[in-house]
Amino acid sequence: MKTLITCTVNGEERTALADTRDTLLELLRDRLGLTGAKEGCGNGNCGTCTVLVDGAAVCSCLMLAQEAPGHAIVTIEGLAKGGALHPIQQAIVEIGGTQCGFCTPGIVLSAKALLDANGLPTDAEIRHAIAGNLCRCTGYGKIVEAIHSAAATLGGR
Amino acid sequence: MASNTSSAHQVVGKRLPRVDAKERVTGQAIYPADLSLPGMVHAKLLRSPHAHARIRSIDVAQAQALKGVLAVVTAADFPELPVGATIPMGETGYDMWMVAAINLARGKVHWVGQPVAGVAAVDGHVAEAALALIEVEYEPLPAVLDIAAAMTPEAPVLHEHVFTKGVEPRPRAPSNVCSRTVIARGHAARALEGAAAKQRIRVEVDTAHQGYLEPQVVVAQVGANGFATVWASTQGQFTAELMIARMLGMPQSRLKVVPLEIGGGFGGKIAIHGEAVAVRLAQKCGRPVKLTFTREEVLQGGSGPPAGARIDVAVGADHEGRLVAIEGTYCMDAGGLPGLSPSLLMQASAALYQTPNLNLQGYDVVTNKPRTEAYRGPGGIQAAFAMEQAMDALCQRLNLDPLEFRKRNAALTGSTMPIGTPFPSIGLTTILQRVGEHPCWTDPLTKGRWPRGRGLALGYWRGTSMTSAGHITIAGDGRPMVTMGAIDLSGTRTTMAQVVAEEFDLPIGDIHISTGDTKSVGYSDGAAGSRVARTMTAALVEASRDALAQLSRRAAEKLQCRTEDLGYARGVFRSHQVGGPAISLAELMQATLTDGAVVGRGVSTKLPLGVEIGAHVCDVEVDTATGRVTVLRYTAFQDVGLALNPAAVEGQIEGSVVQGLGWALTEGFDYGPDGRLRNASLLDYRMPTALDVPVIECVIVETPVPNVPYGVRGVGEVPIVPPAACVANAIARATGVRLTRMPMTPERVLRALEAAARS
Amino acid sequence: MRDFVYERPQTMAQALTLLTAGDAKVLAGGTDLIAQMREGRRSAGCLVDVKGIGELTRISMLPEGGVAIGAAASAAAVSRSAIAANYPAVAQSARLIGGVQVQNRASLGGNICNGAPSADGVPALVCHAAEARIAGSAGTRQVPLEEIFVGPGKIAIEASELLVSIVLPPPPARSAVAYLRFTPRREMDIAIAGAGTYIRLDQRGVIAEARVALASVAPTPMRAPLAEQRLVGERPTLALLEEVGRRAAHEARPISDTRGSADYRRSLVAVLTMRALGDCCGQLGIDVEATSK
Repeated sequence: MKTLITCTVNGEERTALADTRDTLLELLRDRLGLTGAKEGCGNGNCGTCTVLVDGAAVCSCLMLAQEAPGHAIVTIEGLAKGGALHPIQQAIVEIGGTQCGFCTPGIVLSAKALLDANGLPTDAEIRHAIAGNLCRCTGYGKIVEAIHSAAATLGGR
Repeated sequence: MASNTSSAHQVVGKRLPRVDAKERVTGQAIYPADLSLPGMVHAKLLRSPHAHARIRSIDVAQAQALKGVLAVVTAADFPELPVGATIPMGETGYDMWMVAAINLARGKVHWVGQPVAGVAAVDGHVAEAALALIEVEYEPLPAVLDIAAAMTPEAPVLHEHVFTKGVEPRPRAPSNVCSRTVIARGHAARALEGAAAKQRIRVEVDTAHQGYLEPQVVVAQVGANGFATVWASTQGQFTAELMIARMLGMPQSRLKVVPLEIGGGFGGKIAIHGEAVAVRLAQKCGRPVKLTFTREEVLQGGSGPPAGARIDVAVGADHEGRLVAIEGTYCMDAGGLPGLSPSLLMQASAALYQTPNLNLQGYDVVTNKPRTEAYRGPGGIQAAFAMEQAMDALCQRLNLDPLEFRKRNAALTGSTMPIGTPFPSIGLTTILQRVGEHPCWTDPLTKGRWPRGRGLALGYWRGTSMTSAGHITIAGDGRPMVTMGAIDLSGTRTTMAQVVAEEFDLPIGDIHISTGDTKSVGYSDGAAGSRVARTMTAALVEASRDALAQLSRRAAEKLQCRTEDLGYARGVFRSHQVGGPAISLAELMQATLTDGAVVGRGVSTKLPLGVEIGAHVCDVEVDTATGRVTVLRYTAFQDVGLALNPAAVEGQIEGSVVQGLGWALTEGFDYGPDGRLRNASLLDYRMPTALDVPVIECVIVETPVPNVPYGVRGVGEVPIVPPAACVANAIARATGVRLTRMPMTPERVLRALEAAARS
Repeated sequence: MRDFVYERPQTMAQALTLLTAGDAKVLAGGTDLIAQMREGRRSAGCLVDVKGIGELTRISMLPEGGVAIGAAASAAAVSRSAIAANYPAVAQSARLIGGVQVQNRASLGGNICNGAPSADGVPALVCHAAEARIAGSAGTRQVPLEEIFVGPGKIAIEASELLVSIVLPPPPARSAVAYLRFTPRREMDIAIAGAGTYIRLDQRGVIAEARVALASVAPTPMRAPLAEQRLVGERPTLALLEEVGRRAAHEARPISDTRGSADYRRSLVAVLTMRALGDCCGQLGIDVEATSK
């Protein structure tokens, strides 16, 4: 069946005609043209579909599109303000924490959720925050380094 | 963190951010799944539930009649390709009948998940419903699921036309053993018998998966004039085009393949998986088609994993620890179709050791599982798991330090390689020296609650060169616009921009670079075999010099002098005369815009090899109550010739090592007796998370390849070769027990410890 | 995937009406249900999203002592809530379900109602003598949590009923609960085996009460009564804990599957039970050199 869904994405009210069975991931990618969130596994085991819902990192493949109304959803497209990269994005660029890039949007958002809650995370806390985001290219080292660097830039509280 | 890599260059050798990083961190990088075309429809593949069966009939009538279904295809919609029809692919070629079988089975299925039909429908839900309406009549056949069973004389034969190659006289009966390869010199068996110390080991390696996070997706569109455009996540757009064209019986001028971003390949996206089916569906329904694979499909027979193996190795040395013989038997599990030749992996396992006596035998064996494909140095990690453990065990036998042993036996420049030719310039000795001086080797092992141990393992991968092409045009503002032919799998858009910037003596920001499609750039082989950075460098150096020569002639004409009177530096042609005329590239192009384009062309074929060598050291802790192995510290030493970009080089090494650690400890396919994969999801196919691996420290060594621009070596494959052996050697040092099955899961480790304790 | 109607009731009464109508399933975090529906393993004509109902998401201290954890409260909310002070094992178990993304959505109620023997949230709750508060059209009932589990994927909650909250009594003085599980990776995996333990000491330091709850080694989460009985009346020592671990392993009824063999699971039960008991002792200030640390 088709259904109209109105929700707040990246601070804007968006309306789309969706399938009642759509996940939030499908709503974002196929109905709203926000293709930054990816489908890597379809069942919450890789994190490439990670978005922020009310500030918390969630797998959008495990949330229904019909659950979206009433929540503030942030996708990777909503992070850079006016072309200026968020410090996490900037750090990943500078340090080399992205290769094929498929995991990158999800990891950036998981990192954002972490730093919003914990401004000076330890190595272990960073690795725990991104444990649900698989990366096959980088071995995680430069990603962790970038998140530390971003934490410092953001003032580390 | 990198060691200090000094470089005499301005841009090459610098730790620069990737030129395409911004798109990645903002979600703007486009992968085929992100593409949406007007009128686009969705396609899915129907897959075999049987590991081995004849296809008696396929009835698609009901599926075709379902509302919303636009086209259905089976092998009947494609020309039958004879066995022996190969397409050129680098050094070995590729058999098209196998490519066709991987994409759509004809007559028989040889693994669970092999595609048998394809459907295009208005949306994915209708496509799934249509699949359920396709009636396939199968005649199940007995299946073989492991190498041992497949090699017995009574085994059901998978392919009636496959006779073991490399055996004299030619066998009269078909076999599941597709080929036998022998690499030998001297008298290994005799030398072993007389050796002062010897060790034998047999290992078994479970099939794993490359684990690229992006499942295969392809978009195909056929224009009104019949010209097909395919957007693919592929490691080689030209290889893909050739495969698609042959499978469809279509002339190559009637299609093009446009490479988009690729979410990881590692060898698993060289062959096409669905591209030709998508084109045929698009032809049939007249709409653009997007064919997608779920992760379950990727794992359950929809893609080619690397080969499982059973490898026996025996090594012998004299009293001083000098190797007298190496013997090896490598049985590689090819999956449902004949696989890659074991020659490279056999060579790799023995190449780094000098020994007069060598006898290596390799067997490629088919079984009723997905047809295997490459995974970074294919066969390397499996072979090293055997060989490097055998060497380590020999060291224990001789009471010899494992590093000292390697030094004593290390291949040098000029040493004889397994295939008989002398080693070109290599830096193994330098690497070993660096290991010995490094804290990872000299620091005492830290103590913990559980036994700890330190392991050393070496790795070698030959890599390949093949063909790379590119061209450079100069924009109206004088800036070089580079089009490369090879896919960027490892950051080569950035490193090649650095090379061109270096050649043009310009900042990297002045270079625009992109990857061409099959009709906009010269033929280039796929990104594989650690070849792109090296060969693309050579091609673009040639293209740069070609472009600069053309520019020089234009500048000379504009300045009314001879080209010999001009020098070039930092974007300016300047007369050698003091106070003489000068013209910048921008001025030159503006002044000659209507004189025709400046196009510099370059191609590299059969560039001298830049072989890859690495040495890894790790510390592990083994929880002897549960079998859990924790890698505490890991250092990878590698000779990269010249690091075009240390960050990129480290990234390749770190990622490749972690892949190796995954296969070493937690990744392995678990097939049931029906040939169905039991862990076909990323929940139970366990790839390392950020919590499972330590920081991978990289130490870069640079022994340039002579006579090759910038002396670059391949980088990306060898780092995956040592980790499993490195960890196994560390476990052996920690506990006294050798693990001979890979992955070395906690259960297997515990069982091995218990078995050792009982005996 | 079968089509469905999505409802988001605001009250329990509305939710129960929808569930009673039939062919309906409760949607809380969705981390199990949505994946299963997309794979065709579960299906429903109506999904009842209960996250808008206050009783189901609140975590409240009860006036008589103890706590009621709303069945649909997220694992993340549970682990961050005030219950972490008195029920640290419950908070810690909530942090074991999947990874951060899953914990931000998944609920303890969902973890229970999915009925998997591997449910990481369950053993610590059972060790705390948790009860399940279940609402139906006929009223509300409260039963010991372990009685909910009937078989793999099967629970003793009718399709027309709704798990409202998990009620935990106040932890007795001189008691401790711990839960340890074994997974090949540090996170993201289903437990190959898990052991939750509870001990209460009397004034002399002798174990007066004990519970051992095991995950992934039977068709449902299970208690190990013989192991428990061995503990009562004894002072905690390393030798005792090792023996109790072995007993628990003997009582376990694991199967072999892709995640692990039955034998290995038994081995793990012995180790995890011993270490979890060691953790309990550590919480009570007794060092028996058996902890997981």
